[in-house]
Amino acid sequence: MTRPKCETVRLIKRRDLKNDYFSFTFAPFSAADKCRPGQFVHLKLPAGEVYFRRAFSVASVETSCGDLELIVKVVGRGTRILAALRRGDATNLLGPLGQPFKLPRRRERVVIVAGGVGFPPLLFLAQKLIDRGHDPKHILFFYGGRSRSDIIERSRIKKLGVDLRIATEDGTLGEQGLVTKPVKTFLQKYGDNCRIFACGPEGMLKAVNELGLALHVPGQLSLEAPMPCGIGVCLGCVVPLTAGGHARVCCDGPVFQIGEVAL
Amino acid sequence: MTPDMKVMIAGVEFDNPVLTASGCCGYGEELAQLYPLSKLGGLVTKSITLEPRLGHPPPRTAETVSGMLNAIGLANVGIEAFIREKVPFLAKQQTRIIVNVAGATIDEYVEVSRRLNDVAVLDMIELNISCPNVDQGGIQFGSDPYLTEKVVAAVRAVFARPLIVKLSPNVTSIGDIASAAEAGGADAFTVMNSVIGTAVDIDTRRPRLTNNKGGLTGPAIKPIALAMVDAVHSRSRLPIIGVGGISDWRDAVEFFLCGATALQIGTALFVEPEAPLKIVHGLKDYLRKNKMKSITDLVGRLEKY
Repeated sequence: MTRPKCETVRLIKRRDLKNDYFSFTFAPFSAADKCRPGQFVHLKLPAGEVYFRRAFSVASVETSCGDLELIVKVVGRGTRILAALRRGDATNLLGPLGQPFKLPRRRERVVIVAGGVGFPPLLFLAQKLIDRGHDPKHILFFYGGRSRSDIIERSRIKKLGVDLRIATEDGTLGEQGLVTKPVKTFLQKYGDNCRIFACGPEGMLKAVNELGLALHVPGQLSLEAPMPCGIGVCLGCVVPLTAGGHARVCCDGPVFQIGEVAL
Repeated sequence: MTPDMKVMIAGVEFDNPVLTASGCCGYGEELAQLYPLSKLGGLVTKSITLEPRLGHPPPRTAETVSGMLNAIGLANVGIEAFIREKVPFLAKQQTRIIVNVAGATIDEYVEVSRRLNDVAVLDMIELNISCPNVDQGGIQFGSDPYLTEKVVAAVRAVFARPLIVKLSPNVTSIGDIASAAEAGGADAFTVMNSVIGTAVDIDTRRPRLTNNKGGLTGPAIKPIALAMVDAVHSRSRLPIIGVGGISDWRDAVEFFLCGATALQIGTALFVEPEAPLKIVHGLKDYLRKNKMKSITDLVGRLEKY
């Protein structure tokens, strides 16, 4: 595991992705090439309204120039402050932090389940797998949201050549209903030799966890939790484990095996 | 000329006066990934109890204006695992190691301290008689002068090296508690532990912490901590380690002026892991600019009205 770096970086690119989603690219981050899918950075926001850093999963990296991309939805005070950053603004990054996804074997079928704001680390994962020679046709990218506007960067996902399957609760795009419905149907039929990678709201993760356990499909879940320190010292972000005891989401996670956490 | 940053507390010399506070640096392993711990004046471990403790269920931290509330509930590995698994790492660090000790009963404080007495690499212990987040022990001892003296004296009898007592601000007179601790045999004080507080989620109408209340830390409590350091300094000649909302070297200077000989950095580590290093650097600059030879020249030099 690489040692985290704590560095001042600048916002070099900022894209408005509609519906309060933004893509921010920071550079130069000397540990960009060390970031692996599922890991996060702890971002310091301008002093004032919020006190703690904020944790964001890495969405992509451009290792040649130390670029690091985060995709963020404005949901509260911290993300609102982040969204107000302009090109050229400086901020401090601490990372990469946390345990990354353990990558599947090349012959395994990858079942990605992304829900709403849980999408960014899975975009990074899909990209990484393809870069490493995984056949994009063997990557199923289930992507769910409340409505059409919650499904972002569609053309970017399609460009990867993965099998993209969209579900929206109101039926405005893709299949109508929760994303876990088509996931279930798929796993019931083709669950052998599959590996699940999921990130999204708690309810979705719970459902995916149960599906994995019921259908004996292994996989990993990336959890979210408020994290005061992000490096494992404050013990503020713990989750209960099925085997008893607590795990720190920031450094024992955020990626956990299906069945590991008492969700 | 480089100012002298060395300080002496109860016969123990610290290379610099900036330590990390208990509960904010675990047992040192995580912070050591970011920089060598030798850059710290010292490190105070998470509170150690006789048995392992899981702590309270989450959520156990909440962000507040200029600070945080926490009710971790003394989650720790317990004295046996601490000695077996954590001490070997700490033994290799070129910094002063202080172990924070907590307990629900006097017997527990005594037993943990007795076992720590055999661990040669530890420089001091810090007695936590001020944790606001547990039902038994903690602040029960630290808010009653009689119990304070009793628990300090009992630990004093089994621990041969310097003994620091960490005081609570949640008392009527911190000076009375400090005097009681001194009578019990304390060698130094850590001033102060967190301030009791709570926060409410108005949508769920529930407290933001499962413990219902917690300890407030961070910049919000700095003025309280300064007043407490001053109060203890006026009452006792024992050295004081100041802690409470210190974020930068300016904050640090205030604490020295109010009477602290050394400092601990807590919540600020979460925002700026390198805060202690930056504070040492800033303090040196301040001393140089003011033509002071030693950090000790600052201690207690507040010119009161």
